[in-house]
Amino acid sequence: MRVTQILVLLATTLLSACIGGSGTTAATNNTVPATPNSLTVSVDSGPAAATGAINHAYVTVKICTAGSKTQCASIDHVLLDTGSWGLRLVGSVLAASGVALSGETDAQGLAIEECVTFGGGQTWGPVAFADVSLAGESAAKLPVQIMDDAGTSAPPPAACGAGGTLINGVSGFDANGVLGVGVFAQDCGAACVNAAAPLPIYYGCTAAGVCTAENAALSAQVTNPVAMFAADNNGIIVSLPNLVNANGDASVQGELIFGIATQVDNALPATGLTVLGANASGDFTATYTINGVATALPALIDSGIDSYAFNDPTIAVCATGAFIGYYCPVAAPQAAFAVNSGVGVNNATNTVDFAIADPNTFVANAAAFIDLAGGGGSTTFTWGMPFFYGRKIYIGIDQRVAATYTGPYYAY
Amino acid sequence: MTICKAKYALLLAAVCMSALWSGSARAALGSDAASVSVDGASMHGDVQSEIRERYQVLKISTAAGISVREYLNKDGIVFAVSWNGPVPPDLQRLLGEHFTTYAAALAAVDHPGVRRSLRVESSGLILELGGHLRAYAGRAYLAALIPGGIPAAEFL
Repeated sequence: MRVTQILVLLATTLLSACIGGSGTTAATNNTVPATPNSLTVSVDSGPAAATGAINHAYVTVKICTAGSKTQCASIDHVLLDTGSWGLRLVGSVLAASGVALSGETDAQGLAIEECVTFGGGQTWGPVAFADVSLAGESAAKLPVQIMDDAGTSAPPPAACGAGGTLINGVSGFDANGVLGVGVFAQDCGAACVNAAAPLPIYYGCTAAGVCTAENAALSAQVTNPVAMFAADNNGIIVSLPNLVNANGDASVQGELIFGIATQVDNALPATGLTVLGANASGDFTATYTINGVATALPALIDSGIDSYAFNDPTIAVCATGAFIGYYCPVAAPQAAFAVNSGVGVNNATNTVDFAIADPNTFVANAAAFIDLAGGGGSTTFTWGMPFFYGRKIYIGIDQRVAATYTGPYYAY
Repeated sequence: MTICKAKYALLLAAVCMSALWSGSARAALGSDAASVSVDGASMHGDVQSEIRERYQVLKISTAAGISVREYLNKDGIVFAVSWNGPVPPDLQRLLGEHFTTYAAALAAVDHPGVRRSLRVESSGLILELGGHLRAYAGRAYLAALIPGGIPAAEFL
């Protein structure tokens, strides 16, 4: 086994050396990593049950009943989300796949369920174990959340999904699930382990359906599968090409690569890399200027967001058309910029210029748009999907090391 | 009324006074200072007061690291609330009667769940949500009640 791997490595090294010598630059496509670590990413209009998605990046995730090699299914159109951590699957989609996952229980034998806030909505449902495979990588007995759109588990507590804000179904995310592969291993972390008053995130639920907030050990929390891989577990790279038509493409194909500086296909560039260290919350800083006043805001590079999301009251908001709530600059395209700054040791500073178009001029029914900005809140700045087109984005997991960089960080 | 208990000694006498004529305030935004104290109790948080030039800030902080700030104008009415922490606060409680306005506005937003950064504006209520797992932040305010001349950036 080991000899074979070495031979493969040798062969690929020789191959790339030969290609390099002939002056070709497409070495990456001709190398074969020891463990297949690359998954196709598609930006398209979404799963059959909820078409019309824009700037949604999807992957296909293979799941098996923990410990089984036969009780398996491939779930397509799972949203690639660098702004969360852990895998969440829509319950009805999982049921239709025929794969049953065993639920996680606490020390008292109560079923563990979870309430997670995404923007203006919440997901609710049980935590269950799955063997998860992505390309050639696998995470065994991974705690995942089943988003209970069919209402087969205990009903959510009053505070979870109040006001009709539950987003468990396929239409909630325009996706069959959410694959959170951001900068942390667990979704809640230490705050959910020892709190005197447990946060309203993890719950223990009786058979009668009564749920009470409780703490959850790190190993019990919904977990980023990448952190559980045997190798290539220090982060990811999202690589998407630029758009062909700046006003909208019907689809875009790229790659989600596991590991950073662990294989031939995920090396760090020797020069030109901007590395932005993140704080304990997973944020770096973006400074955005309005009318000459610069404000530093917590920032993310977030594939789960469809636009550049921030608040600038000087830019007109679309009041009609298919993009209500996004920005519709009067003189479009409008040039804009923000300055990114890393936190801690990886304290690079980098100015990013971008453009904001009038989305009503976009190609009808296209799925990928690069100059889309949204009316976000003024408490954060988010580099959403438009930032990914034409870039390789490196995301380093907390406390994991890649070459000279220790996570959490974002780099491009 | 529990608001004058020792736990909330940091509240100004004015707060206790206002409770006397507040009736049964249950939620904060658009209500009076007594409602802030009710919020503090429900969150098992400590409440501290800070007087600024044209308004007062009551700060609730919990052991779990949730911080809520409620802004009162000279009439003692909460015109803005803001928060940050590992989970968002109970918005039903914090927005009170304005929660239905928020929920209706949210329902009109395309895919609010995916919009981790979100701004809704309806019937004079402006609400901004931001953040992600481990770090949520946001604020809500009633534009008509903001004391004149205060930029919105002041009550982040």
